Amino acid sequence: MTVRPPPTTATGKDLGAVRAAQGETRAFLGLSGAGSVFRSLLPFAVVIVAWWIIWAVFRPPEIILVSPARVFQSLIETVVEGTLPAYINLSLARLGFGTLVAVGLGVPFGWLLGLDESVASSVEPMLRFFNAVSGIAWLPAMIIWFGFTETTVQAIIIYTMAFPVVFNAMIGVRTIPRRYRDACRTMGAGNFRIIRDVYMPGSFPSVMTGLRLGIGFGWRALIAGEFVVGTSIGGGLGFLIFDARTQGDIGRVMAGMILLGVLWLIVDRLILRPVEEYTNQRWGAVQ
Amino acid sequence: MTSIADAYTEPLATKLKRWLVPVIPFLLLLGIWASAVAIYDPPIGTLPGPDLVGRAPFANSEQYLSNIWASIQRLVAGFVVAATSGIVVGVAAGLNKRIAEFLGPLTTFMSALSGIAWIPLAVAWFGPGTGMVVFIVWNAAFFLIFSNTMLGVRLVPKVLENGMLTMGASRLQVILQVTIPGSMPYIMSGLRSGLGFGWRAVIAAELVGAASGLGYWIFEQRDFSRMDNIIAAALTIGVIGMVMDRWLLARLERRTIERWGLVGTDE
Repeated sequence: MTVRPPPTTATGKDLGAVRAAQGETRAFLGLSGAGSVFRSLLPFAVVIVAWWIIWAVFRPPEIILVSPARVFQSLIETVVEGTLPAYINLSLARLGFGTLVAVGLGVPFGWLLGLDESVASSVEPMLRFFNAVSGIAWLPAMIIWFGFTETTVQAIIIYTMAFPVVFNAMIGVRTIPRRYRDACRTMGAGNFRIIRDVYMPGSFPSVMTGLRLGIGFGWRALIAGEFVVGTSIGGGLGFLIFDARTQGDIGRVMAGMILLGVLWLIVDRLILRPVEEYTNQRWGAVQ
Repeated sequence: MTSIADAYTEPLATKLKRWLVPVIPFLLLLGIWASAVAIYDPPIGTLPGPDLVGRAPFANSEQYLSNIWASIQRLVAGFVVAATSGIVVGVAAGLNKRIAEFLGPLTTFMSALSGIAWIPLAVAWFGPGTGMVVFIVWNAAFFLIFSNTMLGVRLVPKVLENGMLTMGASRLQVILQVTIPGSMPYIMSGLRSGLGFGWRAVIAAELVGAASGLGYWIFEQRDFSRMDNIIAAALTIGVIGMVMDRWLLARLERRTIERWGLVGTDE
């Protein structure tokens, strides 16, 4: 499913074409060159205008759709109240803590599994299976075990992140060409040197892919966890939109959604992707 | 090179190995679980043994099956809509730069939001029930299918399309006979991940706003502390996800790549 090894399956020439097209894609997403910022903002302006027109023409009830101005107003309100900064803080802290645990335990574990081919191939189906049981499906069980607590949300996030992280760390070690190891060995390197100088750096690109996937999944798990457990753990962004819905405040729901999107884009574009790209340039394409 | 003798003897051994080796970790886990239950003897509402969980689906098979069926129906409905719309819009965006420029940034933003975050709004729009779940599935799968299709279409070598055009083919013929088959491998991989995301989304959406389905059922069972049903349902969610992915879509994907794949330019 979604835990997949990095696209090394494409042949050399194919990869070139993929990169080129991705470069183009990136270019029109407005991620390179300041001139294209306008072009990537334009569609949003069009959507907002269309939304405004629809709202003005149909005047739907407040619990269905509100005007963009109302959403903006809700956004300001939550900031002024202080709920928004507090919730952002809580949600990001949860995600950050989950990431630390999942990476700190998952990556070394994945490396360890990857060292032996038969171990790796025997655990692979199990990792895939538990990855397919989404974290959300364990929410009821976690609630029974840990109650409506912070632990429950953390457990869901860590569970969700762990499988892509472990899997990709393992795959990363498995896909390092064998001759690198053999070359080091013929030059007299011991097991420790090989692990430190071949396996670890060689698997970094794959580890990063796993991390990015994992954080993406963890983010969704966090939102779902906060929907269900949010009341008793002091809120969070998922709780914000869920709670606003219960109160019929669509303006606040939409403000929260926009914020979730923006926040994720910031995390993904400004942190995860640059780090992944750097990793790829520095350690990647071992071919 | 394998000799003929190898070709005859190897398959059985490797086949056996391929089937048996992955079972070991599962058996190990089952052993740990069973012995933990035997040693600590936790209350059934906290952690029932594997035997009870294994029996759970049969004990109330009617409920179990009807909830599975409800979830699958919603998944299929949402996925069909997502696949159709994703491929159509993706092909259009792949062929037309303006459409791509317009939809690209929106897609980037929307896919950051996709699925779960829409649940509250979807409940407000559609009310709790099937309509809302289908919308969430569509939302979770559409952007993946769309962006993969667009990428695939852009990667079809222009030479092939131009070749058809010079031979007098119409635009529609080129799209149907070159562009779509040429981008099939990408479309398939988009469909595959879309289905995976869709399945997760069904469970999450049912948990919040439906009165049937696996996601609803496991949450309902929590009220009764029926841990056996909860674990059985969670594992079922995994099995269904795996079966769809590995036995259905992975096969289709492989076949597609064999049939239409690697439309790379000539050396």
